[in-house]
Amino acid sequence: MTGILTASDVGKSYGSGDTRMAIIDGLNLSIAKGEFVSLVGPSGCGKTTLLMCLSGLLSPNLGKVGFKGQVVTAPPIGLSVVFQDYSRSLLPWKTNLDNVLFGMRRVTGMDAAQKKARALEILEAVGLPGFAGHYPWQVSGGMQQRVAIARGIASQSELLLLDEPLAAVDAQTRADMQDLLLDLAKRFDQTCVLVTHDVEEAVYMADRVLVLGPRPTRVVREIVVDLPKPRDQISTREAPAFLHARHEVMELIRSMRQGKALS
Amino acid sequence: MIPGIAVLAEKFRVPICIALVLGVWQIVFVLGVVNEKYFPSIPTIAVAFGQMLTDGSVIAAWATTFLRALIGLIGAALLGVALAIVSDLSPILSRGIRYVSDVLQPIPPAAFVPMAVFMLGLGSKLYAFVIILVTVWPPYLNGVAALAGVGPVQLNTGRMFGLTNWGLLWRVKLPAALPEIFTGIRYAATISLIAVIVSEMLAGRDGIGFMIFKKAFAMRTPEVFGLMFLVAINGVLLNGLVNLLRRGLTGWHMRMMERSE
Ligand SMILES: Nc1ncnc2c1ncn2[C@@H]1O[C@H](COP(=O)(O)OP(=O)(O)O)[C@@H](O)[C@H]1O
Ligand SMILES: [Mg+2]
Repeated sequence: MTGILTASDVGKSYGSGDTRMAIIDGLNLSIAKGEFVSLVGPSGCGKTTLLMCLSGLLSPNLGKVGFKGQVVTAPPIGLSVVFQDYSRSLLPWKTNLDNVLFGMRRVTGMDAAQKKARALEILEAVGLPGFAGHYPWQVSGGMQQRVAIARGIASQSELLLLDEPLAAVDAQTRADMQDLLLDLAKRFDQTCVLVTHDVEEAVYMADRVLVLGPRPTRVVREIVVDLPKPRDQISTREAPAFLHARHEVMELIRSMRQGKALS
Repeated sequence: MIPGIAVLAEKFRVPICIALVLGVWQIVFVLGVVNEKYFPSIPTIAVAFGQMLTDGSVIAAWATTFLRALIGLIGAALLGVALAIVSDLSPILSRGIRYVSDVLQPIPPAAFVPMAVFMLGLGSKLYAFVIILVTVWPPYLNGVAALAGVGPVQLNTGRMFGLTNWGLLWRVKLPAALPEIFTGIRYAATISLIAVIVSEMLAGRDGIGFMIFKKAFAMRTPEVFGLMFLVAINGVLLNGLVNLLRRGLTGWHMRMMERSE
């Protein structure tokens, strides 16, 4: 087992007996430290379920998940998920600052004052200076998303699992958030796994795109994105390597759709 | 002109309501619909009430009744929430407690008193028993519903940051459930006061309930109405205390609700 995160022959199903539904079947992947990997796949194929299994919040029925060489049985320190339903994952009785501090509860080697300083620093890094004392329900959805990301990073995370974090934002904010995420990943040494249904976004952000098949899902193709960093919203999207990767992923997804339509 | 009146009416709504009630009362009195013996005029009641306030025994009865209701409410709220927590932790116990609650909950406080007199005598144990037995259910039922209703995303968030069983309960579930629990406690405050008055009437040797009974049999109608007014004040005080606590513990929720209106 190499890589900061590995999945070997992972299988997961919901229910039992007649209502049993296989979601993941024989899935393998390995993420190297420092990598930015995008996961794309048809909607409902099991992407969220996969992230839950990778994070230790769900235990797979088959196979193993490993994080930093240890088998994952419960959410390990150093890994954090930014949930698809991020606004519900913020605790409404805590201020934004206290939400970030809540994420730091397992952080060691810092006293309360140091934790607070660190939390404020990260809130500023995600673009929220001056909103630390607000409650999540006092700020916009986009800001809530930033708080959730800040909380993830603050938990002394090395690996961020992001579940469709930009699905709900408008195009301009989306581009800004993409660049912010790339910037944060670099600045705070985060290995990132990004789930998205937007193929362009998947390619733009990633060092590698893993394409997931229809349910029960597994990795059906790996596409290495050979593009320099930092990425640029205009020139990166015009580069031949970007267009090639995008083409390959889109063709694959179209063939999966057609396969589904025929069967 | 009209908006000005609306603003004034809003500002003075409490005195206006009181004046309305007193006015209707006085009209009924003047019309002589009910025998004066049972329906005294407002001034008569006011005089009787004023005299009672100078009577130490009335004040003592008032305080006694209030304390009983308060202590009963605190006990019932704590027990109700504890039962809800136990139910949340153990499905088997949850079903057992639910059966007991289904059986006991519809029984009115008055029905408990005779049995409790034999079992517990006429002392404070009686009050504790009756009050808690009828007051515990709203905090319990609301607590169970609220704890079960905590969202999976919030729970997963807690677990992701290393919380398990008790930590999750204490740091995520209870804070999330508290606003709904307080709805139950506010309801329980009213029930607690009813239970105290009924117990005092049926088995008491002191307290406002006992006094109302005594005065009623002596046909001291103005004083009975005065005592009823004291009971109402107790209700307002008890509600005020609960609201104070609610504001302190779940002020975030109240402000969040005000915002979304
Ligand atoms: N807790 C659950 N119990 C039963 N079925 C579930 C549960 N969660 C998700 N599913 C089902 O599993 C499938 C995959 O869901 P999900 O992992 O959320 O897909 P995606 O994130 O790719 O859209 C869906 O068909 C969904 O209805
Ligand atoms: Mg999903």
